[in-house]
Amino acid sequence: MIWVETLINGALLGGLYGLLGIGLALVFGVMRVVNIAHGEFMVLSAFCAVLLSNLFPQVSPLLMLIPVIALSFAVGWLYQAAIVNRVVTSPDPLSPLLLTFGVSVILRNVMVEIFGADVRSLQVGELSRASLEIAGLNIGIMPLLTLVLAALLFMALQLVLRHTEFGRIVRATADRRDIVRLSGVKPDRVYNYVMGLSLALGAIGGVLLAVRSSFTPFSGAERLLIAFEVVVLGGLGSFWGALLGGIALGMAQLIGLKIDPNAGLLYAHLLFFIMLLIRPSGLVSSRV
Amino acid sequence: MACAAVLIAVIAGAPFLLNEGILRLATECLLLLTMAQMWNLLAGYAGLVSLGHQVFIAFGAYALFLTSGWLEVTPIWVLPVAPLVAAAVAAIIAFPLFRLRDAYFSIAMWVFAEIIGAFTMKSQAVGGTSGVPLATSKLIDFDWFEPTMFWLAGGLTLITIAALYKMMTSSFGLGLMSVRDNDLAAMSVGVDVRHNRFIAFVLSAAGCGLAGALSFMGNLFIAPLAAFDVNWSVYMMFIVIIGGIGTLEGPILGVIIFFGLRELMTGPLGLSGGWYLVGLGIIAVVVMIVAPRGIWPVLRDRLGVRLLDVHRAAPRPAAATMLPGASERVTG
Repeated sequence: MIWVETLINGALLGGLYGLLGIGLALVFGVMRVVNIAHGEFMVLSAFCAVLLSNLFPQVSPLLMLIPVIALSFAVGWLYQAAIVNRVVTSPDPLSPLLLTFGVSVILRNVMVEIFGADVRSLQVGELSRASLEIAGLNIGIMPLLTLVLAALLFMALQLVLRHTEFGRIVRATADRRDIVRLSGVKPDRVYNYVMGLSLALGAIGGVLLAVRSSFTPFSGAERLLIAFEVVVLGGLGSFWGALLGGIALGMAQLIGLKIDPNAGLLYAHLLFFIMLLIRPSGLVSSRV
Repeated sequence: MACAAVLIAVIAGAPFLLNEGILRLATECLLLLTMAQMWNLLAGYAGLVSLGHQVFIAFGAYALFLTSGWLEVTPIWVLPVAPLVAAAVAAIIAFPLFRLRDAYFSIAMWVFAEIIGAFTMKSQAVGGTSGVPLATSKLIDFDWFEPTMFWLAGGLTLITIAALYKMMTSSFGLGLMSVRDNDLAAMSVGVDVRHNRFIAFVLSAAGCGLAGALSFMGNLFIAPLAAFDVNWSVYMMFIVIIGGIGTLEGPILGVIIFFGLRELMTGPLGLSGGWYLVGLGIIAVVVMIVAPRGIWPVLRDRLGVRLLDVHRAAPRPAAATMLPGASERVTG
């Protein structure tokens, strides 16, 4: 029974991991850039939420998501416009990787200097401890809400990309950056919105993860690695794949923690590495 | 040749002229320069960016500490173990990793380093999270320790640069660079892409293993958090990017900027290590946007200096002499 509970909790954690991955997948799908700074931006959004909830202690920290999401969208837009767009068309595929890695180092150390290296977490009071009992299984309300939210967001994103004007423009830009210009689309501007959207999604994941577990300015690296593993495991093809990849990683992590309480992310990393060995073909895909 | 002789003389004589603090800093510079050259061999010449190169540094260092402890001999005599272990690990890990390209390779390397780091912290046999001191440090002659470390680091740097120069002007180096510039075209003229990348990867790991072993030997202590620190990759990358990726002179310039800025910011300006990394990161990002090939290539073209240039121009004169002959035949 305890194992069933672990598996269910792993799946719920996986919803959160899916959220971490989806922003990264979106940017990679549209502009072929792995944004190494994605994890640092998530941690930054968590710091923003902590700051805001310290300023307004009477408001529920979860409501802080709204300003943090808006802020993250703006930051992403500016980040893309000011920095990433300058190398996105570079003939060398390594340029965006190195550039975003540089940005991640800057962000991490700025956060260390401003916020200090202490361990932080976002307190939501009763909600984080509340749980449901279903058929003898103890299931946390907060993880359950997170998974539902993740599924809703995935669905919404799918709908936006499939059926709206914006989605059509994004998909067309992803396919042929040069040709969309003929229809009056400015690819750089589309990229700005996509990066904004990506960081806004990252902010949701970042803030919810900060509710679940504590973080430091150095947490960006492990968030990036989880996000990347989610994207690769799920295959870049579909957002639902990312959700599945997240669930697999979440289960691997919680089972690992059950066997060995201080394993951290080791078992999630191992699952990813083993999958690389046995199913590398699932790693390559091109569509958004 | 004369230049090399002067450099050897400078390195041999330096410990007698410099005080201990400066000598220690110089050793650190030289070791980081070697690591940066090794990272550059992989990124600048073979086109593979590794964000997990700290794993080879750690393997080399742990191999040295453990073998020296088991055999109870002075660490210097077991130094060759470090590059061998790092190279062996690289040769094994290359099989799964070489299926991946670009960013996938980079991040999978990072995940690999994280996995090995986590296992190291769990394993009490290698000291767990608290690390291990150098068991044979009592066998070291401490009167000559700093100078010896400096000579080893200096010798390693000179040999590394000379070997890389030799390699890049050989057919292997040409093959490597042709793969980086256009792997399809390189394959069509018979360059074995996979083989070249493999050799570069293993050599790069071996060099980092040796430099890492020397670096931790100088500290007489190793702990997993320091050995598996992703900042090793950050340093190597920033030095190469700022100085000039894919050149031998670039990392030298990069190391000068790296340590110059560090001494300036943490010394007279009194800033913390975090702000120093922020400053370095900003320089790297600006360089990547303004001069994607780094500072050295820009300087070289402005000043017309050639130091360790392995750049080759297309053989244009040959085509020009062909044409008159061809037209003669037509008219004749």
